[in-house]
Amino acid sequence: MTVLASVSLATFLVAGLAATQFRSQPLPPSNRVAREQALRQSVNQLQDQNSTLKARVQALEAGVKAGEDESARRSSAAQEVKAQLDEQKTYAGLSALHGPGLTVLLHDGTDPNSSADHSLGWTIHYQDLQDIVNLLWASGAEAIAVNGQRIVPSTAFHYAGVNILVNNASRLSPPYTVIALGDPPALANGVGNPDQLAELKSRNRIYGLGFSWVRSTRLSVPAYDATFLMKYAQPIG
Amino acid sequence: MHSRSVELAARSQRLVIFSLIAIGLGFLIVVQLRSQAAVARTLANQDDTSVALLINDLNHANNQLMQQSAALAEQQAQLQQALTSGGADSQALSKELSTLREVNGAAPVHGPGLEIRILGPVMDFELQDALNNLRNAGAEAISLNGYRIVGSTPVVSRGDILMVAGHAVGTPLVLRVIGDAEQLGPAADLSASSLQTRVQVDIQRQSDLTISEVVIPRPLIYAQLGR
Repeated sequence: MTVLASVSLATFLVAGLAATQFRSQPLPPSNRVAREQALRQSVNQLQDQNSTLKARVQALEAGVKAGEDESARRSSAAQEVKAQLDEQKTYAGLSALHGPGLTVLLHDGTDPNSSADHSLGWTIHYQDLQDIVNLLWASGAEAIAVNGQRIVPSTAFHYAGVNILVNNASRLSPPYTVIALGDPPALANGVGNPDQLAELKSRNRIYGLGFSWVRSTRLSVPAYDATFLMKYAQPIG
Repeated sequence: MHSRSVELAARSQRLVIFSLIAIGLGFLIVVQLRSQAAVARTLANQDDTSVALLINDLNHANNQLMQQSAALAEQQAQLQQALTSGGADSQALSKELSTLREVNGAAPVHGPGLEIRILGPVMDFELQDALNNLRNAGAEAISLNGYRIVGSTPVVSRGDILMVAGHAVGTPLVLRVIGDAEQLGPAADLSASSLQTRVQVDIQRQSDLTISEVVIPRPLIYAQLGR
């Protein structure tokens, strides 16, 4: 009797899991499968190309830097310019940095699955990341990275459908980690200020976005993985 | 004795059944978790529009990266040529320095672009959205009411007052943006469409705008070079 009950219970669980497994499989209409596969294949190919190109840019940057270092060794004029160049590269985010700072964490919350709530407040939007980055700059951050992507002068967050993109189509996926270098108490006070990020904090209470922050004595941010081209702006004088 | 051996056989049978069920359950749980993770990681759970937009952005980004590669290869060749002939090309270094000073907002610049006049008060997040949209459309230099705006320039509201880099800015807000007007136009229109329910927005294309304001980068106190 006990064996029968156990087997029945286990069979029920197995059937339930099998059903869940079955339901989690996408079931597109058959005439769309080829098109969807082609689209996704294109994305994968373009993402591979994107990674290859970024690696090429970084290798070329290393080559340029080696040439600049050698030029500075040979010429005092070049050495003088090189010192200024290194300073501007640091400000532009072309150098990796480390130091004390703040780590801000957040992720998508729980979908309420409610017919009365279509707000999508349970997901993290690119504007949330934009607001956090802006607040960290306002709180004295000296360098910022989001999920390993350095925030540089040309950085813009945007949507491509449901994807959050930044820096040359780098896709950001949850969980999100924002690292800011600077004075940890000042950065924490900025993020903790109840007048700031009020909407995000409210959604965090409702949907559980895991919005939290922690001070650290040593954090690091990577260098920007590409470079800058100015095609339209020309220097005056 | 006989009843004991029967009991032992039944217990063994139960053990075998439970073991098989546990293996089955474990397998299904793992498959379930892995399939969910795979769906989240891949593009399988995205609609075709999202995927198509992603393709568009990736194409654009890859073109940009190819242009960057070409520029860096040229710069490297120029440096190498001077080194091979026994000298040093400080002009190549000066050219890169000039570009980076423009990127960092440390040099006055001019070029084609847009002048956007916003006749009415806006909130910090509205201006942030507008700046973000313009950068996404390739804005190379931006100023607002006489202040140079760079990536690290904070925009905050203090009550009804809009503060940019710690300075209060009042209406009308005049944004000057240098870049490809063809690309900047739709981005400006997008921001304007959300603002125009409350305030008047006027967008003018300019063949040559001047942004003479500069920012002096704050010296790094906490951040140090290296990982």
